[in-house]
Amino acid sequence: MLRASAASFSYPLDIEAVRDPSIPSGVPGGNLLLRFVDALLIDTEPVDHIRELIVNDLGPEALVDTASVFGNFSMMNRIAEGSGIPIAAAAVERERALVDTLGLADFVKH
Amino acid sequence: MFAYTGAPVPVRPDLRYSHISTWGHFSRPGPTLRGDQRIDLLDSARADSAERDAEGIGLSPTTGALADHLMHRPASVNETVVRRSAAADGDAAAVEVIGLVSMLSAVDFTHLGLGADLEPLPQPQPGPPTGVVAEGLKRRRTHIPVPPGPIPVVLDLVPDEGAAFQAMFGPHYMTGWEMALDGFARNPGLDRAQMELVSSRTSLHNECFY
Repeated sequence: MLRASAASFSYPLDIEAVRDPSIPSGVPGGNLLLRFVDALLIDTEPVDHIRELIVNDLGPEALVDTASVFGNFSMMNRIAEGSGIPIAAAAVERERALVDTLGLADFVKH
Repeated sequence: MFAYTGAPVPVRPDLRYSHISTWGHFSRPGPTLRGDQRIDLLDSARADSAERDAEGIGLSPTTGALADHLMHRPASVNETVVRRSAAADGDAAAVEVIGLVSMLSAVDFTHLGLGADLEPLPQPQPGPPTGVVAEGLKRRRTHIPVPPGPIPVVLDLVPDEGAAFQAMFGPHYMTGWEMALDGFARNPGLDRAQMELVSSRTSLHNECFY
């Protein structure tokens, strides 16, 4: 979905930025958004500072969207873990390059 | 209710209404739990003390442990954790708890992202559990009985929880219709590529492959 949406907007997406936010993402404001998640979940830097940067660079509505998407996927991740919804082995193989790029193999629970 | 005290920006009305609606849903009797049990469980899950408090709520410690792990250590939730809860309190109770805690995380983590104080949980509403539980569902290599279909339907063993869960997507992320559009954008706000960066990094940290 990220690759398809980036292509839709003609962004020069570097998917490796999802794994390493120090890599330019190619998406406007993208690295700020990645830093926001890191600040909240692994305390990499003061969140207030990142919020201010998002508001200044992307607008106040963007901060609300960022927080709500973060909330939504906090929920979706828990639904996935609680339900144990499986990932088909064929689907993993189809996306092998992406799985390897992002280091996702350890998260697959067949 | 839902003043988002501490947030530096105003919150979209549709997002606020979603949170108000979710709080109302939590307060009402569920399929297996009374309203007061649901609120007590959520309060304990917030404090990472649901395992300790479970028997006082009328649940097994294993279901309390499921709530604690799901809220605070989601990557640690596996089939064993869920099956222990289901064995003790039944599949419907386990699914109800998974739904409640997950939906609470959406609201609380949105507040965390905004820098807003967490909203106090609502007062419970009276009444017995509804007993509304779907029949004929089975585990499909899943931890819980589910209908065939994608992740939005996984709570449908307890349909009212499933409906409340699905109602949160649009205000927090995108509606089903909007998800069909690779070029979706809120204006003003984020476009889809920006949203997917947030979702991807969040999921990576939560060790969620899906």
